[in-house]
Amino acid sequence: MSRETTAGAEMTAERLHVAGLHAAGDGAAGAVLSVRDLNVRFNSENGVVHAVRGVDFDLLPGKTLGIVGESGSGKSVTSLAIMGLLPTTAEISGSVKLNGKELLGLSDKAMCRYRGNDIAMVFQDPLSSLTPVYTVGHQIIEALTVHHPKMSNQAKEARAVELLGMVGIPSPKDRLKAFPHEFSGGMRQRVMIAIAIANNPRVLIADEPTTALDVTIQAQVLEVLHTAQEETGAAVVMITHDLGVVAGMADDIMVMYAGKPVETGSVDDIYYSPRMPYTMGLLGAVPRVDIAEKASLVPIEGIPPNLIHEPTGCSFAPRCPLVSDACLKGEPELWPVSGPRGAGSGMAGSGAHKAACIKTDSLGAEVDVHEIFHAPAVPVSRFDAVPRLERRKVLELRDVRKHFPLLKGSLIKRRIGTVKAVDGLSFDIREGECFSIVGESGCGKTTTLLEIMEFHKDQDGEVTIGGLSNKAASDARTKTAMRKELQMVFQDPTGALDPRFTVFEVLSEPLENAGLDKPAIRKRIMELMELVGLQPDHVNRFPNQFSGGQRQRIGIARALAVNPKLVVLDEPVSALDVSVQAGVINLLDKLRAELGLSYLMVAHDLSVVRHISNRVAVMYLGKIVEIGDVDNVFDNPRHPYTRALLSAIPVPDPQLERTRERIILQGDLPSPLDAPKGCNFATRCPVFAALPAAKQEKCLTLEPPLEPVSSPQAAPATAATAAAATAAAAVRAARAAVQTADQQFACFFPDGELDADMLVVHDSP
Amino acid sequence: MTNLNAIDPAAVAEEARIENDDVVIAKSAIILRRFLRNKTAVAGLVIFLALTVFSFVGGILSPWDKETIDPFNIGMPPSGEHLLGTSQAGIDLYALMVEGTRISILIGLVVGLVSVLIAAVYGCTMAYFGGKVDKVMLFILEALIMMPALLVVAVATSGGGNGLRENLPSWLLLIIVLLVFSWMGTARLIRSLSMSLMQRDFVKAAQYMGIPARRIVWRHLVPNIGSLLVLDVTRGVTGAILAEVAFSFIGIGIKVPDVSLGVLINQATSQVQTFPWMFWVPLVVMFLLTGSLAMMNDGLRDAFDPSSSSVGSAKKTAGKRNK
Repeated sequence: MSRETTAGAEMTAERLHVAGLHAAGDGAAGAVLSVRDLNVRFNSENGVVHAVRGVDFDLLPGKTLGIVGESGSGKSVTSLAIMGLLPTTAEISGSVKLNGKELLGLSDKAMCRYRGNDIAMVFQDPLSSLTPVYTVGHQIIEALTVHHPKMSNQAKEARAVELLGMVGIPSPKDRLKAFPHEFSGGMRQRVMIAIAIANNPRVLIADEPTTALDVTIQAQVLEVLHTAQEETGAAVVMITHDLGVVAGMADDIMVMYAGKPVETGSVDDIYYSPRMPYTMGLLGAVPRVDIAEKASLVPIEGIPPNLIHEPTGCSFAPRCPLVSDACLKGEPELWPVSGPRGAGSGMAGSGAHKAACIKTDSLGAEVDVHEIFHAPAVPVSRFDAVPRLERRKVLELRDVRKHFPLLKGSLIKRRIGTVKAVDGLSFDIREGECFSIVGESGCGKTTTLLEIMEFHKDQDGEVTIGGLSNKAASDARTKTAMRKELQMVFQDPTGALDPRFTVFEVLSEPLENAGLDKPAIRKRIMELMELVGLQPDHVNRFPNQFSGGQRQRIGIARALAVNPKLVVLDEPVSALDVSVQAGVINLLDKLRAELGLSYLMVAHDLSVVRHISNRVAVMYLGKIVEIGDVDNVFDNPRHPYTRALLSAIPVPDPQLERTRERIILQGDLPSPLDAPKGCNFATRCPVFAALPAAKQEKCLTLEPPLEPVSSPQAAPATAATAAAATAAAAVRAARAAVQTADQQFACFFPDGELDADMLVVHDSP
Repeated sequence: MTNLNAIDPAAVAEEARIENDDVVIAKSAIILRRFLRNKTAVAGLVIFLALTVFSFVGGILSPWDKETIDPFNIGMPPSGEHLLGTSQAGIDLYALMVEGTRISILIGLVVGLVSVLIAAVYGCTMAYFGGKVDKVMLFILEALIMMPALLVVAVATSGGGNGLRENLPSWLLLIIVLLVFSWMGTARLIRSLSMSLMQRDFVKAAQYMGIPARRIVWRHLVPNIGSLLVLDVTRGVTGAILAEVAFSFIGIGIKVPDVSLGVLINQATSQVQTFPWMFWVPLVVMFLLTGSLAMMNDGLRDAFDPSSSSVGSAKKTAGKRNK
């Protein structure tokens, strides 16, 4: 640690060294985009926010740079600054060079020559980034016209068709005349990519391109982005908060924190030997879908620093578990990491592994993140020891249906069809367990929750909450008794709290309603604050004075106020940052164990589901296609849809990501209107596509029932043994239906009868 | 059980940090600050307040009142004795202006406030009950929008409303008629706004906790449309003042002997050439009144709109710092 002593003196030298290492001369040799000391400042109500503080990077042609970090770390601002899209009120300094030409300081008009031509962007929300009143063809052609005014109309149209084909939109010629609303979210994002690559840009900036999409669609879009990069040879800047998404795509990673890069390096360096505690925390905070072993997640306590004040020490110090006095003296620069995987071991052309931490050298790969961040022990519930069948049922659904009539006609409404949002759902939840429903959006998850939360007598199907059936819930007393057993935590912690209520008022509302007196309410609120890990003296604050994670904790406290047996969690962490998410998941886990709660969770993030759930149901078009113990279902998925879902989840492990074979589902969720007669999934099923015609007939005409997996828990490790095991299982199933494993699925031809290789779409087409 | 009185040093430090850092700013402070940042709006507010004060206490500054005729000064231009001159009948214009401004502001404020109140109650009720009630109430609302307000005002204040006119001063009658025709647009806006609020998660959360619907409306809906109501009040006030002026101008609004800005302008139009001060003074005051409200409105929108971009520029501040 000799560096510490002479840190101040070496800082400038170090800085020059860094720049020199990257850049021969001014711009790096061959770098298509080189950013130097980029600074962005905004004004806010509280003062000037220094949102980006000295970002440096070089992007070589054809390479992908992943920028990761929490929200507010300056990722998007960096990209917008490069594009010249920041509002004029922002102050930008530094240098952004595209092929050696300076972009900063150009007028908007001058910038237009580069934007969409040499440098293009894909935005996060595909729903709002296309103009609804023009056809997609028009919008692609517009992008071409702007930069190639001399191109003939035929040429432009031909190019548009070619582009749409390139991003995988079927029958591109006809789709050219379609309007954006005729496309699904994934398709629109493909169109956005088509527009972005229309003029063969040298640099493509993708700002959270898949965050708004479902996992299966995300896999498709990432694939398209990859193809687009290969076709155009563009360098890609991929901005994301999801470490899994970049693991398979990026060559280099830059981790940003508080507007500054805190660790840069090749993807392997960052994932396998992170040297900055923040990076380590981020990696430890992500639940893994491919690991069954249960360990608590690593929460990073606290919130990112306020960028109004220049940090005096390391910006991460207030949240860092390894903080020492030396950390508070001066902000550390990015120093090259020494060690076995240090400089030079990365990919050719990529920058050396650098980290902005004075303890870099003592943080090797052998350090355990869980120890550093004091991750809590895995909580054990008193119910865990009791066999599931002996526990009491807190919720039971029997054959619940929700069909919406689809009407047409302005004066006389004709019924032209039925949307089967929920179609014959049956499951039960026992005390102390977490049951999750997963599936793409539009599969009926939320409708299921609504059916449970808004139970009433005339429902189609039976909902039994805590032993009371909805059929008997005619009087207010029974309804109140049922409501008391059941509370809900919402997806969006901001929207779920009345902005005009203090925390005290928020929490006292259900208690007042339950008829408690004032002192009892006060006492209970203090207990609740303690329970969810908030400071009791914060009760007089308003929700907007809390961070997202804290708000979600308030939401959880409100749900727990009346001591419910079952808490319904509607995507409880999807609106939160990874690091905060870990804290909330740990809290939910702890509460389940301590209070003996049961959860019904709806989530699209399968990694979170795997981490927290005991049982899981996979829904597709209103039906459960596979249900069972979470480890059984995730380790040994039988339904092709489950397999596809699981394979689409990106894993924060670059080597695994590179070698993993994805089952990419073709197309989107079919419209519920023309839902297939037999198996719902037949239209997208890779197994179905590979079946001989005679067997396809069965899928198309008969609806597969939910059947238990009857093999004595054969958990085969590889697909080959899976084939053998299931073949054997089929024989045994005929002999005796002995259900040993807690897993049921609805498919006539589970993976076993086919060579698994046939179903996999390999990377190289 | 936790000891509630125990002082956690970490919490205290945190608290101090929050206080000093200005991290948590009360919403009212932000609204005020945003409003003050809009210089036009502040100017508007100052003008409006000045006019209001003038209309209430302006009378003391002049020995004349609107009834007294000065037989020696009939139709005289502004002079030392009569600051703004006198009318054709020899009445001090300054006294008339004080009276007229007061009536106009009164009409504006009452109509603006009460119509928004009616709109809030009506709109919330529609959204809260929904279904059939909503349909019927919406029909009434639409019917009122279709009705030609001008005709009704004309009938009520002249021919048909004789009985009414005997009992009520004409300005009160005008207020009532204006009220009937001014709340529909706002009501429809509030209806749609509360309907979307009903869909918000915090309202759902309250429903799932079993809170009665009436309490949800009162505790969650009404406070949350408050900022919109403030905006609508200023708009309503402007609208009412303009309507009063217009109606009085064509002779169906305020009737003499009551005075308002509209009446004054109306009286002077025929003799702009001979008594220009009689025309221009009330016109300028009316313009100041409506103009100041319009200027304020923009600032209020900036202040209340949560998505407002009114945060000032980083460049400016950075520049100041460099100086």
